[in-house]
Order: sequence, then structure tokens, then C-alpha cells
Amino acid sequence: MKSPGSITAGDHLLDLKWNPEGTRLLVTPATGPVLVTDEAAALLEELPGHGMGNGSSAWFAGEPVTCGYDGKIHFGSREWKPGRGMIEHVRTSPDGSLLAAGQGKTLHIFDVAGSDEKSLRDLPTVVSDFAWNPKSPAEIATAGAGGALLWRLGEKEPFARFDWGGASLQVRWSNDGRWLATADQTPSVHVYDIPKDTPLNMEGFESKVRALAFSADGKRLATAGSPVVTVWPCASSKGPDGARPILVDGSESEVQALDFSPFTGQLATGDGKGTLLVVTFEKGQFRRKRVRLDSGISTLAWHPSKPLMAVGHESGSVILLSLEA
Amino acid sequence: MSRIPVTILTGFLGAGKTTLLNRILGEKHGLRIAVIENEFGEIGIDHELVINAEEELFEMNNGCICCTVRGDLIRILGNLMKRRDKFDHILIETTGLADPGPVVQTFFVDEELREQTVVNGVVTVVDAHHFSRHVGETHEAEEQVAFADVIILNKCDLATPGELEATEQRIRAINALAVIHRTTRAEIDIKKVLEVGGFNLDRATEINPHFLDAHGHHHHHHSDISSVGIEAEGECDGKKLNDWISKLVRDQGQDIFRMKGIFAVKGQADRVVFQGVHMLIDAASGGPWAGRPRKNSLVFIGRKLDREALTSGFRSCLS
Repeated sequence: MKSPGSITAGDHLLDLKWNPEGTRLLVTPATGPVLVTDEAAALLEELPGHGMGNGSSAWFAGEPVTCGYDGKIHFGSREWKPGRGMIEHVRTSPDGSLLAAGQGKTLHIFDVAGSDEKSLRDLPTVVSDFAWNPKSPAEIATAGAGGALLWRLGEKEPFARFDWGGASLQVRWSNDGRWLATADQTPSVHVYDIPKDTPLNMEGFESKVRALAFSADGKRLATAGSPVVTVWPCASSKGPDGARPILVDGSESEVQALDFSPFTGQLATGDGKGTLLVVTFEKGQFRRKRVRLDSGISTLAWHPSKPLMAVGHESGSVILLSLEA
Repeated sequence: MSRIPVTILTGFLGAGKTTLLNRILGEKHGLRIAVIENEFGEIGIDHELVINAEEELFEMNNGCICCTVRGDLIRILGNLMKRRDKFDHILIETTGLADPGPVVQTFFVDEELREQTVVNGVVTVVDAHHFSRHVGETHEAEEQVAFADVIILNKCDLATPGELEATEQRIRAINALAVIHRTTRAEIDIKKVLEVGGFNLDRATEINPHFLDAHGHHHHHHSDISSVGIEAEGECDGKKLNDWISKLVRDQGQDIFRMKGIFAVKGQADRVVFQGVHMLIDAASGGPWAGRPRKNSLVFIGRKLDREALTSGFRSCLS
């Protein structure tokens, strides 16, 4: 693999986000300035950090958006402070018109002008994570309340509840809109077939699931926590129910980062010792390419339209890797 | 990698937690202390080292019926541990009406936090003038005292000597183990707040169950929360002890706030130290006896404790 560029931020890398065009990369470390780079990882801009800790970042209306433990959202040159509590994530709706930010029991929903009248307030529990429905810019899922709640903006009650009495830390919505998946504090993953209103509970993982990701077509769900990545098939009418998952070995320690390429469909995984796997799926089988990098991999982001990925490390370095022959 | 100490600060509304926090943040003690303050604290502290977080409670689906943990703490502390510039100490403030149990349980339950942090102790600020009223109004005030390793008996300038004595006796009747410091405007040597070692099994040195007899056992109080101390010569049978404690926490764990013990176990040269919160227990080698008498000491703090049943249960574990 060739490396078209690299850059180093000041702390452990939390998050990497390409803009939709793939021309700019947002590099978010645990603390300190958030970096904006070009496609070759050359620094374009340094954005102010968020005190005690940064949250995940996003692109919104062509501008970078950052958030953090100071309770602030930086959107381009604007700064919003919607409340006192920390903000851990900001996420843009699939059509790019809205920005969601969780703060305590409020899920703020901003439009580009900063209006937040669509926000969901006084939710039953703190919003630990949330995910937009990729098929509907008016629907969003929040983790919490024993599982996840599915909301339509403008309505006061959730239109669906996914409750198994668990403790959800992360929630993801598949790109085909069919599946919702949560990773829990207990070593388990819970998948909800939304059209069928059917929950599937997968337990018995070796450790807490630290990362989960759906493939771009929604046909696979990858979960990671131990050195073995589990890839669940979601394409059939029953989805993962009764199916044998693919177990991707080859990592040397706990896998901390996962991402499916929207361009090639490949899965990239990164572990705490710096092992990067690039997994290609073929008719129920898989091939993997293994690369050993310098330090633990904490986050990964595929380019939206090229066989190129950004790999973020615990050391603060970001390296771009190209899979082009 | 050394584990970062965590202190849990509790106290009823108006007792002086915020005053103490401001003192900790403002004093030149040379420590870099991160403070996790609840989002709806009495007074918002605007300080670069303070994180405001709304308490996020969730029940663990792990077979432990009373196991509620703080999801927000798991995420915040997980991120603080990732930082390159680590803190010397982390202080967690709970809301005035919070049960400290879930905060403590979070550190028992989450593997990563157990590896990277160590709970130094629970510090409870008590309003010396109003404690009796608080106890009469809610159960949280008593539970906060029951969980404490250190009690800051604050606002002593507003209470008469008689009130102070009565309050201290009442506290002792609930929690025989905690160290009590009398303060005014939360003026106290910060080391007495931060260097507690209440949950550190490595630092467990002595538990004195007789303390209970000297303080409060003979005093009348209306609470159903109390302390029971047991001391016994001889050696325990390790299997019997394990079986007894397992059954005890299974049957009564919801009512047991804290347990601490130092045991002489047959076949083990070193002390065995033990602690528990509700149904979660932890045991480790406590190092050599080093000239101390080889005996067993155990203290329970909880609700509706049956002293005779606990004592006879423990004695049945002696070999």
C-alpha cells in the first residue's frame, strides 16, 4: 500500500471524517486543536479544541463541526452553547440539512441557520449515542432506555422502542434503513429488524464490543472488541438470525476501529498494537491483507469515492493509505 | 501503568460540596485534578478542569439484581484515560439526591476502568446543623453517610456543641468506619479528602470492629441503616468463607451498602482483604501480617442488618 500523506495531531486520535466530496479530512484528537487537511493530509486549518476533551466531529453545509466536554459546538466560524452539559457527538442528517448533537437528555437538532425547534427534549434517559435513518432525514434513533428509541422529528413519542433491559453504548442504523444495531456495556450486540419489529440478541462475546459498523449496502454488520472481528450477514430475510457469522482473525490485540469502504465494500479493522487488516468478502469467504503500523489504531475512515483510507493512531498520527495498484 | 485515583464526592443539597470543590480547584496543592460535576449541580462551576455531565444510570443485565452503573462515567473516564496528559486525580461529584452506589459499582463492573483507575474513597459532606432534618426527610442522606470513607461534618459554626455531638453520634451509628472531620466553610487539608485509600485493597491495614461499640452502639437512633462489626480469633476455611459471602450478597446484597474485611485464611500465610458494594465483591492478598495478630475483622454497613445472624454466619466459616 502506498501512503499519499500523513499528519500528526496533538493527542490520541478519536475521530476522522472525510467531507462528502472527499476533498477534506477532519482530524479530531482526544484533546487540543481539531485539524482540517486536504486529500493528501496537508494541513489546511486548525480549529479550536474543546477544553477537557473533544467529541466526534462532522461536516455540515460544507463546514466542519466540532463538539466536546465544554458543552460547545463550533460550526465554521460560529459557536453554539445550547446547555451546560458535555456534547460527545455531532452527526449530520443523510440529506445534509440537519445536525444532531446529544447533550444530557436532549437531542439537539439544528438547521443551518441555528434554529433548534426540532430538538427532542426531556428524553427518558441520557443520549449516549444516536444514529440518523440513512433512508429518512426525519428519523433518528437514540441509544438508552434499555435499548434504543426511534423518533420522527416533530413527534413527542418514539414511533418504535427497542428495549431488552440493556445498557447501550453505541447505536448504528444500516444504510438500507432495515437494521438498527446497538453495542452494550455487557459483551453483547442487539439487532433490530425494523420492518418486522423483530429483535435479535447476540451475546457471548469475549469482551465488550468497542466498535460496530454496517457495510454500505447494509448486508453486513461487523462487530469488534476482542482480537477477532465478527461479521454478521444481514442480507437474507432473517438476517443474522440462525446464520453463521464470518470470524476475521489476524489481529494481535483488541480491535478498536472498524470501517467499511463505501467505494469497494472492503472492511478495514485496526487493533491496539497497530495491526491493520483490509478484508475483502467473496461469496461467504474472505481474504485479508495485513499491515503492521507503528502504533495502536484508534480510528479509521475510508474515502467516500476512492480506494483510500485514513488511519488514526493512539499516538496522534494519521496516515493515508492507498489501495490503488 | 499506575492507576489514576478517583474520589467520589457526595453530600446532601446545601451541605457544602460546591464550596469544597471550589476549594480543591482553587488551592495550590500541585495536583492536576479533573472534576466531573453533575450537570444539574447546585452552582455550576465554570472551570477549565470541570466536565459537566448528566448522571446516566443504567441497569447491568449481568444477573446482579441491584447493579446499576453510570454510563456517562464509563465514557468520560475512558476518554480521559486516552489523553496524553493524564491527570493526577479525578474527582466525581454526585447530585445531592444521588445514591453513591451506582458510581462505586461502575468501577467494580467495567474492566477497563478497573485496570486504569482506582477508587480512592467516598467523601460525604454533611450539614452539621441540618443533618437530622435531612435524615428525617429522605433516605439518600443516610445512604450517602453509609457509603462514606470520610465524612466532612461541615457548617460546624452554625451548630451548637450539643448538636454537633448528637449529629456525630448519629453518623457513627450509621457508619462505624468512616473518618469524621469537623469543618467550617469546608476548610480542610485537601490531602484528607484525596488521600483516603478506602477502596484500595493494597493499602488496607486495619479494620477495627470495636469502633462500633465505642461510638454509637448504645445510642438510640431511628434509622434502619447501621454498622455491624465482627472480630474473631482463629483461621477461616476459605471455601466456607467464600460460600457464606456469596450466599450473603445473593440474599441480602441490596441492603448491604459496604463490606470490608481482613481474614486469616487457613493455608494462606498473608492476610486476605475483602471489600464489597451491594452484590459486587472483590478480594485480594493483603500482604504479610507483619507482627499484627492473625485474626479476622469484618464490618458491614447496611439496612436491616441482623447482627446475630451475621456473627453466627461468619463463625461457621472458622475452621
